[in-house]
Amino acid sequence: MRMNEVIVSMQGISKSFPGVKALDNVRFELRSGEVMALLGENGAGKSTLMKILSGVYTRDAGTIEIFGKSYGDLTPKQAQAVGVAIIHQELNMCRHLTVAENMFLGREIYKGFMLDNAAMEREAARVLGELKIDISPRQVVGDLPVSKQQMVEIAKALSTNARVLIMDEPTSALTSKEIDDLFRIIRQLRANGCGIVYISHRLEELAHIVDRVTIMRDGQYITSMNFQDVTLDEIIAHMVGREIKEKFPRVECEKGKKVFEVKHLNAGRMVRDVSFELYEGEIVGFAGLMGAGRTETTRAIFGVDPKESGEILLDGKPVSICSPQDAIQAGIVLAPEDRKKDGLCTKLSIRHNIALPNLDLLCNRLGVVSTTKEDAMCDQAVDNLKIKTPNVDVDAGNLSGGNQQKVVVGKWLARNSRVVMFDEPTRGIDVAAKVEIYNLMNQLKQQGIAVMFVSSEMPEVMGIADRIIVMCDGRITGELSARETTQNEILTYATRFENKFAQDEGSAKA
Amino acid sequence: MNKKFKQLMAVRGMGAALTAFVGLIIIYVAFGLIQPQVFSMRNILNLLRSMSKYLLIGVGQSYLLITGNIDLSIGSVVAMSAMISATMMSSGVIVPIAILVALICCLAVGAVNGVLVGKFRLPPFIATMGTMFVGRGIAYMVNGNRNTNAISSGIGKEAADRFQNFFYYGSTAGVYNTFWIALIIFLIFFFLLSKTRTGRHIYAIGSNPDAAKLSGVSVLATVTKAYMVSAFCSFVVGLILCAQAGMGNMEAGNVYEMYGVAAGVIGGVSPLGGTGLLLGTFAGAAVWQTLENGLSMAGAPVGIQRIVIGIIVVGAVLMDIVFRRGIGGRKPAKKADK
Repeated sequence: MRMNEVIVSMQGISKSFPGVKALDNVRFELRSGEVMALLGENGAGKSTLMKILSGVYTRDAGTIEIFGKSYGDLTPKQAQAVGVAIIHQELNMCRHLTVAENMFLGREIYKGFMLDNAAMEREAARVLGELKIDISPRQVVGDLPVSKQQMVEIAKALSTNARVLIMDEPTSALTSKEIDDLFRIIRQLRANGCGIVYISHRLEELAHIVDRVTIMRDGQYITSMNFQDVTLDEIIAHMVGREIKEKFPRVECEKGKKVFEVKHLNAGRMVRDVSFELYEGEIVGFAGLMGAGRTETTRAIFGVDPKESGEILLDGKPVSICSPQDAIQAGIVLAPEDRKKDGLCTKLSIRHNIALPNLDLLCNRLGVVSTTKEDAMCDQAVDNLKIKTPNVDVDAGNLSGGNQQKVVVGKWLARNSRVVMFDEPTRGIDVAAKVEIYNLMNQLKQQGIAVMFVSSEMPEVMGIADRIIVMCDGRITGELSARETTQNEILTYATRFENKFAQDEGSAKA
Repeated sequence: MNKKFKQLMAVRGMGAALTAFVGLIIIYVAFGLIQPQVFSMRNILNLLRSMSKYLLIGVGQSYLLITGNIDLSIGSVVAMSAMISATMMSSGVIVPIAILVALICCLAVGAVNGVLVGKFRLPPFIATMGTMFVGRGIAYMVNGNRNTNAISSGIGKEAADRFQNFFYYGSTAGVYNTFWIALIIFLIFFFLLSKTRTGRHIYAIGSNPDAAKLSGVSVLATVTKAYMVSAFCSFVVGLILCAQAGMGNMEAGNVYEMYGVAAGVIGGVSPLGGTGLLLGTFAGAAVWQTLENGLSMAGAPVGIQRIVIGIIVVGAVLMDIVFRRGIGGRKPAKKADK
């Protein structure tokens, strides 16, 4: 394949959804052998544009040329046939099927009247091997961790001989080692002459792989340029249309009395002898690799998963938490990792979402919800958190990621919580919204609420937290002061695995 | 041996299906100990014949359950099949034509179900509840709101006997034809589900319809095929009932759709879609029939039979859930990366 040749050209693309103009006269060009970053805030229209290119949506107006041929309304199958593959932001795998079955879904191989499973498994193994991904084609996808599922998605896209590969936030669920693997694969593909569209909010990553950038804002094309010719600040300025002064705003607070203490908490394999303390006026960051047990720790504290042993003390007094109700009553709340799955009822309105955990405060003795109180609570949350919405009766699922996160937080702030646990609160939301979430955490810190902040993004933990607790494989392996530590130091603790040779052998047999 | 067993158990849903078979044997032996006649050859042959209906219904319903849908119109399609074919035969239309017309009408219901659910995205419960009422209405109207006369009054005794023997009373190699018919249909659809593209797509849609669609799978075509399979199975059951009674009964197949759900669910077919084996459905249908047969031979009143069956269905699913999640309901721990 020739390098540096225009392989995708989209001109004057417009697309409206009921009530919103998602894309307005957008253009986009991709060349062979390049990695193009498509940047913009949430709601800028990046995903919509790429869904049009891959045939998921049809455009209202505009032209699409792929490899010099014009296409009208593409279907996903057509797009696949011409070599366009997309890895969606939300993982799109059939959990019950195996890796090979997923990879060949929709284009199964036949031998006579029967599916040729052996051939499909062989081919899947070959693609996985080429990418140096260590997964068996026979494994059921639902049993794999998210990061491996993502790798399978990539392998699936590549097994269709894709020459245009679109990756929508591919790293949001990956650990840094897995990201390295992914970048290695991307470079390999680039060298083979593929064109790669890379959508990401993690601007820090771009420098590693990106050749050119296209920036969009509010459904419009803003600019495109060579990555080398711009600074990150300029990119951000283009994205938000204004400059962001501080990426990690920090407020200083007097460290107060001890609020919360966890002693020797054990809950399953991923939470082993976890002990830590939270004080007034500080944000405690929880760093670590994916699967280090941080999410499991928050779930165990919040009473979602059963605890085997351990003690939880709030303001010096032991509290017994067997269910989330207990935790909420005690004033310990959790903004979970997966907003859409665990954080929100996406089909309910903002109003109902905010009211849901607070119905005890909103109802009278007969269980009738007081609309006046509910209105007041919701208005306050929308004002305080600057939730961008026409009114509180909008479905929570229709909000942008950042605003959804604010609703998740908003429902807890309506009651006087003592401890707020944030699990990956900034995952998949844009720069401006991230800053607002940071500001929100800072506000809580100033109010003397203990803040526990789980994040896999090292710069943000170091920028926002005062103290950093590092976890690895279900155990706390280190505690550091954010001001004095380095990424390397955190990583050292985060990879301090137990010597498990004996154990490994055991599990290999099992 | 150990390795072979492991490979077998690696097939998704195999665990539940085998559990159902074990349950079947236990139930059968237990009844046999209470009432030795249960073990008699005659009873076994009767058992096989009467479980055939549940097996066919179960196969049809399992197809839908695996796609994450449901077909409530099964019982009505059974009645349509019985009434349409019986009405025509009792007024002298030759058997092949009568069967063909019934088949076309039944498949049409399946197609309508498929389009309503696959194309217009109607909730399957509502869509097939609609066709359930319409189908039953048609079954009533075919012969002017009355059960039909004996089919022999139209096509003559000889032809009627041949029809009735073929579908119900006759036997081949010592086993009633009804069971052979059900078994052949079962094997065909077993093959279709486990070895062909259509089958793979059925599992994929039940597992994650969005992912399937984005992989180029046609949801409309796949769902419609599943509903057609279910309609076809119901059609055959209708003929069996017609042959058994020698006439058409408007109430034929009442609540059979639920028997289908029960057979599938006892055999480990997930009502949420994505998993299940027809092998399990086979076991489920056999469990169902063995219970009915055993309880009635042991002299239990019909009321007790219903109660026991209800408990077994809920128990089977409950066991599956407890087995999979553990009693605490903890989400499965992520496997460590190697």
